[in-house]
Amino acid sequence: MLRLISLALALWLTVPVTAAAQPLQAILQTHQDEVLQPGRRTVSVVMDDLVASGLPQALPFLEAWRDREIVQRGSDGLFFRAASIGGTLTLLDLDTGNAIEEFDADDLTEARPNGGVRRAIGDALVQFQLSDPDITKRQTAVEAIARSMDSSQLAPLAASIASEPDPVLKETKTRLAGMLGALFADTAAARIAAIEALSGDLSVDVRAVLNTVLATDPQVAVTASEDANVARILAIGEDITAIEAYDRLIAANLAPALISGSDIRAALVENIANGAVGGVPVASLNTDGARAVAYDALSAQGIVPPRVTDAEQAAAIAAHTFYLQYSEADAAITDAADKALTAIEAKVALNQGIDLGLDALSLASIYFLAAIGLAITFGVMGVINMAHGEFIMMGAYTGFVVQQFVPDYTLSIIIALPLAFSITFGAGVAMERLVIRHLYHRPLETLLATFGISIALQQLAKNIFGTQARPLTSPEWLDGALVFNDVVAISYIRIAIFVLALLFLCLILFVLKRTRLGLEVRAVTQNPGMAASMGINPDRINMLTFGLGSGIAGIAGVAIGLYAKVTSEMGADYIVQSFMTVVVGGVGNVWGTLAGASLIGFLQKGIEWLNPSNTLAAQTYMILFIILFIQFRPKGIVALKGRAAAD
Amino acid sequence: MHRSFLSQNPSVLWFVATLAVFTVIVTLLSEVTGVDMISTSFVKTLGKTLCLCLVAIAMDVVWGYCGILSLGHFAFFGIGGYAIGMWLMYARTEGIVIESLSSQPIPPTPSEISDAIGNQIFGVVGSSEFPWIWAFADSLFLQLLMVIVVPGLLALVFGWLAFRSRVTGVYLSILTQAMTLALALYLFQNDSGLRGNNGLSGLQNVPGYEDVSQATISILFFIASAFALGAGYVFFAWIVSGKMGSVVKGIRDNEARVRFLGYHVESYKLFIFTVTAVVAGIAGALYYPQAGIINPGEVAPIASIYLAVWVAIGGRGRLYGAAIGAAFVSLLSSWFTGGGAPNINLGFYVIQWTDWWLVLLGLSFVAVTLFFPKGIGGLFDLLVRKQS
Repeated sequence: MLRLISLALALWLTVPVTAAAQPLQAILQTHQDEVLQPGRRTVSVVMDDLVASGLPQALPFLEAWRDREIVQRGSDGLFFRAASIGGTLTLLDLDTGNAIEEFDADDLTEARPNGGVRRAIGDALVQFQLSDPDITKRQTAVEAIARSMDSSQLAPLAASIASEPDPVLKETKTRLAGMLGALFADTAAARIAAIEALSGDLSVDVRAVLNTVLATDPQVAVTASEDANVARILAIGEDITAIEAYDRLIAANLAPALISGSDIRAALVENIANGAVGGVPVASLNTDGARAVAYDALSAQGIVPPRVTDAEQAAAIAAHTFYLQYSEADAAITDAADKALTAIEAKVALNQGIDLGLDALSLASIYFLAAIGLAITFGVMGVINMAHGEFIMMGAYTGFVVQQFVPDYTLSIIIALPLAFSITFGAGVAMERLVIRHLYHRPLETLLATFGISIALQQLAKNIFGTQARPLTSPEWLDGALVFNDVVAISYIRIAIFVLALLFLCLILFVLKRTRLGLEVRAVTQNPGMAASMGINPDRINMLTFGLGSGIAGIAGVAIGLYAKVTSEMGADYIVQSFMTVVVGGVGNVWGTLAGASLIGFLQKGIEWLNPSNTLAAQTYMILFIILFIQFRPKGIVALKGRAAAD
Repeated sequence: MHRSFLSQNPSVLWFVATLAVFTVIVTLLSEVTGVDMISTSFVKTLGKTLCLCLVAIAMDVVWGYCGILSLGHFAFFGIGGYAIGMWLMYARTEGIVIESLSSQPIPPTPSEISDAIGNQIFGVVGSSEFPWIWAFADSLFLQLLMVIVVPGLLALVFGWLAFRSRVTGVYLSILTQAMTLALALYLFQNDSGLRGNNGLSGLQNVPGYEDVSQATISILFFIASAFALGAGYVFFAWIVSGKMGSVVKGIRDNEARVRFLGYHVESYKLFIFTVTAVVAGIAGALYYPQAGIINPGEVAPIASIYLAVWVAIGGRGRLYGAAIGAAFVSLLSSWFTGGGAPNINLGFYVIQWTDWWLVLLGLSFVAVTLFFPKGIGGLFDLLVRKQS
């Protein structure tokens, strides 16, 4: 195989030097049988001569041969390429490529290389393609090698690197050659050098290569043999359980098989005689102890094999060494691979940390968006709005409806954002005027009344839009992800949400700190009575604040709808988290909400990282943590001080 | 003392008398006596409603009298249900397993029995091991104790933490809601040891009474529920009257002032919170054998909010109001969602109550909060005032 490939490579390299020395047909004629019925051995004879000829038409011939397009004309024994041109079978001359119109189809014999030969030809062709002038062919060849790595590919791949004109592909080839070198290089020193060069590469395939080098087999022996490359001695009870250890002894024929509880039971059932087994009455066989006595009696009679006692098991396990042995015999190579893998894994862990941080940041920005509207209404008015989640839902459905009318996704999002704001702003103002205004002195009842509105809105949405999830499609330029390396990546949509959250943070800070409205809002927050006597209309401020908070919920709804499904229950999913965010962060403070959202976002991702299989558990633990957190800082992270803090 | 308590609260006698008459009538009209005017399933519905009334009364004491809007009392209700459900399921499965194993040639060992039970119960969540929380499941007495101890202990620890750091008002409500959510999420996990999403089922079959018909069992549970409701009503009426009741109501109206008068407010709140949680657990333990199944969805935060809705619609601050609200709204709700209410054809649109009932409930809830803060119970005031 290796010889075949090097010949093929040599063939390509020699093409420009000795072109057209002898017609291809002549060579084929000398090997008629081998061309027509090639075997895995005989094929190399043809290849030898093809290489020696150095003909440029040898490459297309090989392709045609592999694809079973070569035919022989019975009348004169000449070979042709049979191609279907315009629906009719046409014979092409192998040397000139000219079409031969007149022939007798019955006179043709097809060359039928079998599967093994075709694969051999194909492999040889990969080497040709590695240096093909067409870049797509070279890329395909490189991908083919990466898919199934083989020792034979190393030399031709390495040879093709120097002449590679494309810098990106050259890089890929170099990496691939490094991986092949780590696996298959001839000398141990070359392999160690290749392995060391891989250290620092984060990609999954490099890690796979190193893990292949480090593949181990579980072994058991009285003592590990001297020349075995032992990875690790396994400690009973830590690395493997005593039961697993004994099973391995059985598998290695080093210990007698165990008699299990069901075996004992089956043996006893088989040997019941006169209502007793081995002298023990059947009725009293309802404990393991009694069954053991009965079984031992049977084995004393030689009816059944004796039980392996626990002491014998322990002795057998203690007498043997259990260890993992590397498949690779050379310890220097496995040491180098182990070192490289450790270095890579440390780097991967660091990058995973960064990735987790990005995830947490994006989750925090979603919580921030969902909670900031609530923080404003809760902070300024001391009013709990249980329908806040439903305003988020209304925003998301607004986006969905707009997309039904405006097919362009970018434009529809641009329309949906202000529309969602105005709709939820209106809904918020209406709710404040009609309901909440009357309940300012009864905060607990506000909670219940807004809850009534929440279930009514939720059911209304269900009646209008149905129960199935509605998609809110993001524009194309938000598809995909920003990839930093093989570990760290973040989708554009999450970046967009982060930017949106940042934008709203700035906007709200600006409104609150730099505008007349903000001044009045802050005055009403601190002391409504005093603010009123200074000529501020608290009614108007409350109305506007509530509208603003609800409007932001609408926009958050559009943003959340872009990455999650829009359902009538989506608000309920965010309402508790939003309350947590507000309460943990501290009421009545934008920075507090930001801190709360960050804490909850990072906490949730952190707990998920500790227990990745179970998101539900992560949420449970997070809520428990928050309940405890409230115990120690009842007013949240950023607590208002002084008179403003009074209830 | 006792006499004065009853003479102070004529409503207690009225309530207990009405309940007794109602119980006798339902029993007489049920399948058991042969009259069969009230079907077994409706007896179960009525029995469940009585349990809901009991938990609503507990909610009224903690909210209407003590001013703590707990959004977690239905979680205690669910815990009670789970506690009794564990015994019901274990004992029933044990019976089935022992019967199927007894036909084998050799009597089973204890570990074989327990393995078979574990397989039966936890097969749905891909496990066969008994989790540690099932340690007492084979003992009815211990599980009945759990019905009281687990909600009580949870309420005690949670309440102690919350009241100690003076979390009040809406913060406390949110915190209790968070507790409920955490519990529900925990129960939803498959490895929680309580069969995750599947919950506990087959609870209507009482082990040891396989030969007794469901009609009899349902009427027994109905009477037990009525008794529990009556006892709970008298107990709570006694608590909220007298000196203790005055302090509790004082805490509701002005916590700081009561504290300045020298009362240890936290202890009173903790006592009320814990006692009501225990009663909620008992109510749950009576409810779920009648319902037949319990799953984590029952414990979800929304259920506790509905509990508050019932109490608010019935009328806070009066025990019979809570009972009336719970009975009225839950029966109405099952009538509407069960397709009992006729659809209204508007010509251009047909209002199907299964779809629109929640909208109606939500809006009427807003209306009650805004216009009738005293709820249905407030109607009795009008009645009494007319007479005098």
